[in-house]
Amino acid sequence: MTAREGRPVLKPGCRLSAAGDVLLIPEGALRLQGPASRIVEACDGTRTVEEIVATLLKQFPGADETKVSQETASFLNRLSERGVLEFV
Amino acid sequence: MSAAPQALIAEVTHRCPLHCVYCSNPLEMQAARNELSTEDWSGIIRQAGQLGCWHLHLTGGEPLLRRDIGELVRAGRQSGLYVNLITSGLGLTRERLRLLVESGLDHIQLSFQDSEEEAANMFAGVTAHAQKLRVAEWIREHRIAFTANLVVHRQNIDRLREGIRLAEQLGADKLEIANVQYYGWAIRNRAALLPSREQLRASLPVIEAERARLSGKMRIDYVLPDYYAKYPKPCMGGWGRSLLLIDPAGRAMPCHSAGVIPGLEFPNAAREPLQAIWEQSAAFERFRGEEWMEEPCRSCERKEIDFGGCRCQAMLIAGDAAATDPVCSLSPQRFLVDDLIEGVHVGKSNEQEWVYRIDPVGSR
Ligand code: SF4
Ligand code: SF4
Repeated sequence: MTAREGRPVLKPGCRLSAAGDVLLIPEGALRLQGPASRIVEACDGTRTVEEIVATLLKQFPGADETKVSQETASFLNRLSERGVLEFV
Repeated sequence: MSAAPQALIAEVTHRCPLHCVYCSNPLEMQAARNELSTEDWSGIIRQAGQLGCWHLHLTGGEPLLRRDIGELVRAGRQSGLYVNLITSGLGLTRERLRLLVESGLDHIQLSFQDSEEEAANMFAGVTAHAQKLRVAEWIREHRIAFTANLVVHRQNIDRLREGIRLAEQLGADKLEIANVQYYGWAIRNRAALLPSREQLRASLPVIEAERARLSGKMRIDYVLPDYYAKYPKPCMGGWGRSLLLIDPAGRAMPCHSAGVIPGLEFPNAAREPLQAIWEQSAAFERFRGEEWMEEPCRSCERKEIDFGGCRCQAMLIAGDAAATDPVCSLSPQRFLVDDLIEGVHVGKSNEQEWVYRIDPVGSR
């Protein structure tokens, strides 16, 4: 499954903190800034990356579509490389 | 002022059904009658959340020997903490695991003594291996993180590949292979446990090849025995810098073997507020920062990476807790470690008596 067609979901044992600003993982915690926690929230295995980008654009009207789409994809890839996220 | 600790390590009991020959628990263990109550632990866990901790590691001994472990998991989750259980798997049933997961367990670390049943049971001093295999199956029925821990030493490091295959078969997300570190009971068995330099050297390409083969599937961490290292490990991420450990009786310590350092008084977390213990107590201040450092650490550029190494090791080997960790190649006392290695490997056979870790008094 490639990132392009897959639906990202957090791996078992990875979750957002109650306040939503920290991604808790077995080895530690990643502080999320700006739209990052919105992106992670949307990774529930039901949405494609494209759909997540569309939701973001609605939440941040006026944002540059190409930029949002590129940055979201690279953020999700980084999380997947760290073993925090998978595409189903 | 010090930044908040990242994790609370709750050693909820020293009781354990296993008797591992390399157990790092202190030789003088807390008896069952000294263990904190559920309320005390819950209060400490709540304060850890308020203090800014992210993780709660429930460990021991065998934490499952406490009947209230589910309540402690729930207390952790309710305090906003990420809850990890470090266990031998003994005392777990499928139903009990389900309840723990429902209470908010995020991650389970299951220890293995070997890939082969007979050897595993010998190192543990008890029949435990088969139960662990069952536990691994139950774990995979849930969406929690699963780490397999394998402890290696002279007697089993030549079977690394088999150990890795076992963890892979069991479906672990991650395998942590740790060489024995010499504290507590492990020191008593050092002569039978310390691998040779050749064994260590041979282990590296195995790890590398298996890592490549399993990339994207199972991660492998490999911890070397620091006696063979050039520089020491950043023990506990630095004294009083990121980890806070509470022993079964409530004593707050910067690391699990800090009890070997004379003159330190450990405040009790059941009686004193956790924040004051962390920020102000003399025990946590003692080796915090760099003020206490002597040469060669004081003027070394690695002091922000390894914090001068392990204070307990400096105490145990060099007899001075404020000395540079003697495993460091820059330490004037490195020869003590070299002598130890040589003493172990010259003219000594493998056929020596194990000293098994005993259970604290009043356990049964
Ligand atoms: S005896 Fe073994 S299982 Fe029990 S605490 Fe020690 S190392 Fe862990
Ligand atoms: S001299 Fe001290 S700070 Fe430098 S590498 Fe050795 S232990 Fe670390």
